[in-house]
Amino acid sequence: MDKEYITTEGLLEKFLLDELGEEENQGIERAIANNRDLKQKFEQLEADFERMAFENAITPPPHIKNILIERLDEKPIRQIRYQWLGAAASLALLFMLTTFWMYSKWQTAQDELNILQNQSVVLEDRLDVLEKNYELTNDRLQLINSPSTIPFVLKGNSVQPNSRAVAYVNHDNRLVVVNPKGLPQLSSEQTYQMWSDVNGEMIDMGLLPTDKDLVTLKYIDRAESLNITIEPAGGNDHPTVEQLISAVTL
Amino acid sequence: MQDTEIIAKIIKKDKNALYHLYDRYSGALYGVILRICQNQVVAEDVLQETFVKIWEKIEHFNPDKGRFYTWAYRIAKNNALNAVRNSDKLIQNDDFSVFKEKENIEVEIDIQQLNGAISQLEPHHQEAIALVYFRGYTHREANKEMGVPLGTFKSYIRQAIQLLRERYQVEMALLLWIMNVV
Repeated sequence: MDKEYITTEGLLEKFLLDELGEEENQGIERAIANNRDLKQKFEQLEADFERMAFENAITPPPHIKNILIERLDEKPIRQIRYQWLGAAASLALLFMLTTFWMYSKWQTAQDELNILQNQSVVLEDRLDVLEKNYELTNDRLQLINSPSTIPFVLKGNSVQPNSRAVAYVNHDNRLVVVNPKGLPQLSSEQTYQMWSDVNGEMIDMGLLPTDKDLVTLKYIDRAESLNITIEPAGGNDHPTVEQLISAVTL
Repeated sequence: MQDTEIIAKIIKKDKNALYHLYDRYSGALYGVILRICQNQVVAEDVLQETFVKIWEKIEHFNPDKGRFYTWAYRIAKNNALNAVRNSDKLIQNDDFSVFKEKENIEVEIDIQQLNGAISQLEPHHQEAIALVYFRGYTHREANKEMGVPLGTFKSYIRQAIQLLRERYQVEMALLLWIMNVV
């Protein structure tokens, strides 16, 4: 900005009156600093305006100064503002931490609730299994203890002299339950199978796995005897007579 | 005590130095503030805020860039204009409208009466200086207010300043002559 432009545009006046933007202000400041004549003009302008302001001064009411003194004596204003800012920031931080803590607690509680719900489902399933087992055991106990149930002991013959099984037959309920625990363990290719003799014909009643306490078999009408044979794994359609290990007459 | 000494003390947070400065400049600043605000209650608040700001921002004052009064005048003027905008509660894109609202009460307020050298100028010169210096108008707002082109308005300002300077120089010469005679 040259001196001529500044003078003709009245930029010194505008600069004094604070009418210019930041960039123009800096330009004028530089021009004044670098040009003695411009600096003198500006100083003269300042002096004239200041004198005019004093000629038109109005004395303010005395209490304004007292209020100013009270305000400055209270506390440093900046300090008050920083204190408020500090308090606000502390509260904000406290609120943030509390919120985070509560959120963490809520998440933990949610996780624990999920675990408990899963455990509850597992326990319900186990309870169902136990109830079923209990009902089965109870049914069998009632069957065995029933006055109308007849126990038959099937002792091993010469083929397998150490074997022993107990069959519980209830004609009223048409049930046959066998305890096979006394039968010796077989190889994996073999199994025990039970048969009923009806008029000379051997009828399949089912397999006797030795790993169970009680095995429920098919009740056959008019059975005359119960027979146990050793058969290939999976059972046989006809009994292998050579492998008959035990028989009892009903 | 010179302004520079007082300001150095204020920078060191000497409150009494500020009160000294208040005694020296509050009248000149209040004359500007009251003419802009045209409301005594608002003007008193603005004057108080102006000196609080001077207290807080004194480190920013650079004597190489101008007089202390010029710096304080700018603070006072801006505070007053902000107070007028807030107290009027007018939401306008053109600040000029804010001043138009004030126009009706201007004639009723005695504070618009100007004193000293400016009061001896031609009415259009008086008005031009009064608008930009005592009322806070920008040059663009003021030339519209006076109903003259911007170039003409700038000429009014230049002429008014020149006439003021001449009167002050005459007064100064008279003063020196009286002092010599006495």
